[in-house]
Amino acid sequence: MSHPIAIEVPPPPLERRRRGTKKFRWRISTLAAPIAAYLFLFFIVPFGVILWYSFGFKPSLYGTHDNSVLSFDRYAEVFGNADFFAIFGKTLWISIFGAAVTLLIAYPVAYWMAKILTPRSRNIVLVLVLIPYWTNFLIRTLGWQIALNQNGFISRILQDLGLLNGPLEFLYTNQAVQLGVVYNYLPLMILPIYVTLEQLDWRLLEANSDLGGNAISGFLRVTLPLSMPGIGAGLMLVFVPLMGDYITPEILGGTKGTMVGQLVASQFKTAQNWALGSAMAITLMLFILAVVVVSTWILRLGVRIAKRANRIVLPELVIEGK
Amino acid sequence: MTTVGIESSQSGIPTQERRAPVKAGKVALWIWGIIGLLFLFFPVLVIIAYSFNSGNNLQIWEGFSLQPYLNAISRPDLLAPVGVSFRAATGSALLSAILGTFAGIALARSQKSRWLPALVGLLGLVMVTPEIVNAVSLLPWFVTLGKDMGFVIFNDGIVRLVVGHSLFSSAVVTFVVRARVAGLNPQLEEAAADLGANPLRRFIDVTLPLIAPAAVSGALLSFTLSLDNTVLSSFISVANSNSWPVYVWASVKSTLRPEIAAMSTLLLLFTILVLVIVALVLVRASKRTGGDDANLSSMLG
Amino acid sequence: MENRPIRMLVPEALKASITRRTALSAALGTAALGVLAACSPSGSAASGSANKSINLYTWGAYDDPEVLSDWGQVTLGSYDSNEELIAKLVAASGTSGYDIVVPTHQFIPQMVEAGLLEELDHSLLPNMSNLDPNYMDASYDKGNKYSMPKAWGTTGYVYDTTVITRELTSWADFWDAAANEASGKTSLVADMNEIAGAYFLANGIPTNTTDAAHLDSYKTFITGVAKHIQAFESYNSTTIAQNGRVLAQGWNGDARRGLLDNSDQSRYKWVLPSEGSTLFQDNWCIPTGAPNPQGAHDFINYVLDPAVSFRELEYIGYNTALTGIQEKAEAANLELLDMIFFTQDQVDNFQRLEITSANEQLLAIFNSLQAAAG
Repeated sequence: MSHPIAIEVPPPPLERRRRGTKKFRWRISTLAAPIAAYLFLFFIVPFGVILWYSFGFKPSLYGTHDNSVLSFDRYAEVFGNADFFAIFGKTLWISIFGAAVTLLIAYPVAYWMAKILTPRSRNIVLVLVLIPYWTNFLIRTLGWQIALNQNGFISRILQDLGLLNGPLEFLYTNQAVQLGVVYNYLPLMILPIYVTLEQLDWRLLEANSDLGGNAISGFLRVTLPLSMPGIGAGLMLVFVPLMGDYITPEILGGTKGTMVGQLVASQFKTAQNWALGSAMAITLMLFILAVVVVSTWILRLGVRIAKRANRIVLPELVIEGK
Repeated sequence: MTTVGIESSQSGIPTQERRAPVKAGKVALWIWGIIGLLFLFFPVLVIIAYSFNSGNNLQIWEGFSLQPYLNAISRPDLLAPVGVSFRAATGSALLSAILGTFAGIALARSQKSRWLPALVGLLGLVMVTPEIVNAVSLLPWFVTLGKDMGFVIFNDGIVRLVVGHSLFSSAVVTFVVRARVAGLNPQLEEAAADLGANPLRRFIDVTLPLIAPAAVSGALLSFTLSLDNTVLSSFISVANSNSWPVYVWASVKSTLRPEIAAMSTLLLLFTILVLVIVALVLVRASKRTGGDDANLSSMLG
Repeated sequence: MENRPIRMLVPEALKASITRRTALSAALGTAALGVLAACSPSGSAASGSANKSINLYTWGAYDDPEVLSDWGQVTLGSYDSNEELIAKLVAASGTSGYDIVVPTHQFIPQMVEAGLLEELDHSLLPNMSNLDPNYMDASYDKGNKYSMPKAWGTTGYVYDTTVITRELTSWADFWDAAANEASGKTSLVADMNEIAGAYFLANGIPTNTTDAAHLDSYKTFITGVAKHIQAFESYNSTTIAQNGRVLAQGWNGDARRGLLDNSDQSRYKWVLPSEGSTLFQDNWCIPTGAPNPQGAHDFINYVLDPAVSFRELEYIGYNTALTGIQEKAEAANLELLDMIFFTQDQVDNFQRLEITSANEQLLAIFNSLQAAAG
């Protein structure tokens, strides 16, 4: 793989130093060859295999796939399946709502860490945010299950305080699913937002107030637009894995926590219909990809508009910031 | 590009009129932040408390006992999955660090390649692929490789876990390292070149030490991700290679014993202990070679 | 700085790594890696030598851990359904690495046909003479060439008598209570065949029906009931012990464990439905390509020892199918014996589930149930 590149490198000998640098730069792209080969072998090819399966069919009770007749029938089966779409819609709702709630909770926390805390305590809080994450997510979810059980201690305390008549009915509800989701994905939202806020040039905020803006306009015109990259990263880091997750919702939600990932898994684990399962998996993936691309585009558009707005308020600072 | 120095000098300048609402806002943020931390810690504390449960069921509190801890460190059926997880996580971290570091350097430094942008797109695709899709596509592929093509290494559970876990992680490391390399001062390398160092020497003596922190933090992240991986692991694992999360997941569905909470608590303590020890060592080391550290920080941001 | 979507996705998030603190945590990580690597047990090296080391792939909490450790080194894997077991064996095609698997009776003929099971060597299993002949030589495996009975049980349900004050006796009662007193507090076992079986039995339909009209009526019924279902839970003992469900379909041994673990043992009542119930018999089998068939035989022979088998029965609460095990349990005064052993009338009422061509349709209906319940 490296040969065509190497051959292409007759460096025009201008000067000793520049030649050396140039040569180095040419060769350096081959450093990416191992990961390219690796991803080809364990990402592209396996993906190609299920893509191939998705055009086949399930031949018999115990056969998993057969590609002797190729068709789009499995996709028709996926798109014609009302149950798949009902669960898909629910998964989408849980993921979008979960990402949004996570954002609302995480943003002030990240802001607190980046703006209010001293650099020293910031580090401590950063470690504190990460420590729970060092416990397996199943175990953490179980912690909630124990706490929120109708005979659990929260239920008993609330009843003793007279805030609740009868046991707590929280597990196995949509709210329980959302709680588990928000909890488990919260650090993935806090961290990227914190990082962008930490790198934010707070002088912009000062400048805004010098120009007569109040705290709210400072936040809306400066802080929020400039933290958009972090928000975008956080939303993606929560949304994408959530679309495929089915374990957190199931533990806390019971039948309320059925996610589309479970349907895909059941085609492989229970029905042993690799053809249909592959078609479902590919549909899911293409959908997520579409959401990511479209929302990235919207987000970038938003940032651009916000920046334009900023330029009007703070013309000299934008220049200075660069 | 602007750095910490400005920010800290900034905080010294008082803003006059709007003090009161700003203060109220600060208090609100403090409250929110602390509640947020408590929220994050709450279930972990519950698990730690219940790990001392003397009963047979984790969820049903019977009384205080240290027995779960004794069981956790003596029962092979609990220790084995923890060992599998650690081996898979170590392998995945190393593999991701190596692949990702090379790729990150290439992406940051090579401008004229035609295929690297395609690689970036591919890495992006890897990152937005849900775990379940990777799981269902890798399983038949491993069987094909191991059984039909005779690469028996892919019949090994740990190998499968390492490969499966490092797909996502290596993409993460690539981007971490790329960001780091992009932020490096190219003059350093050029200076080395002026001093007559050949490209390889320059890479080993100058570039590599500078990107090591990014590579290692990426590896650390891979390690953590691998330890949590459940969906993919349960699909591709073979006998003898059930990882800790897969074991816990199976227990969730049948009977959860307090030993599981005890083991989790031990793992958490172990992690914190390692972090503290290394932090102490690092602080001491940076005191001895203080100059290095200052150099490093001046190049960051 | 290309305008790729991924730039939005990651690098911003990861700029964190370009700070001093992450450099620190990075270094911490390396050290942690080293320590952890040193700590991880070298499992394969330790387990390689003796033949007292097997990989057992079975149902959750289906063996007494002490019984296992008394024999040797048993590494456990677990599954929730026979389909999952078969999917694993099919996908691995002989490389799964398991020495023993425990499929339910109706799956054995197909597993044999698909070449997933190895023949047993009866000369290595002298203790098979301890097994009750009633559970041997069954139609699904004539001469027990591939399987030895492990335990058998049946599917019934339990209900919370403080909520449902009337007496429930049948599957018809079960579905009625699920839609009334137990609405939103009912669980079904996470097995599509068992759920269908409970409906078919309640309506006098053969449990192994493939009739389209029957399946349609089942689909209509179950999607209507869906909103009352709180969870799909096969191993419900913990939930029952915590009074976590009003009505729960379940297997006798797990339900019994739940009743025993509940602080008020009389709160829940176990029902073996009057219309009949499904019987399952789980069996020790050796999968094709098992790395240690000698060890597997040795282990199976070990658990067929009367004393060992009794310990298993005590732990799991299922009849382990040995001659005289009932007398032994009665002599030992085990609690709730009527949930382990059944009268002849009850046994006559049991029905064995079979795999039929309706299998795929049952899964589709189960997915509809999931969609409707969410």
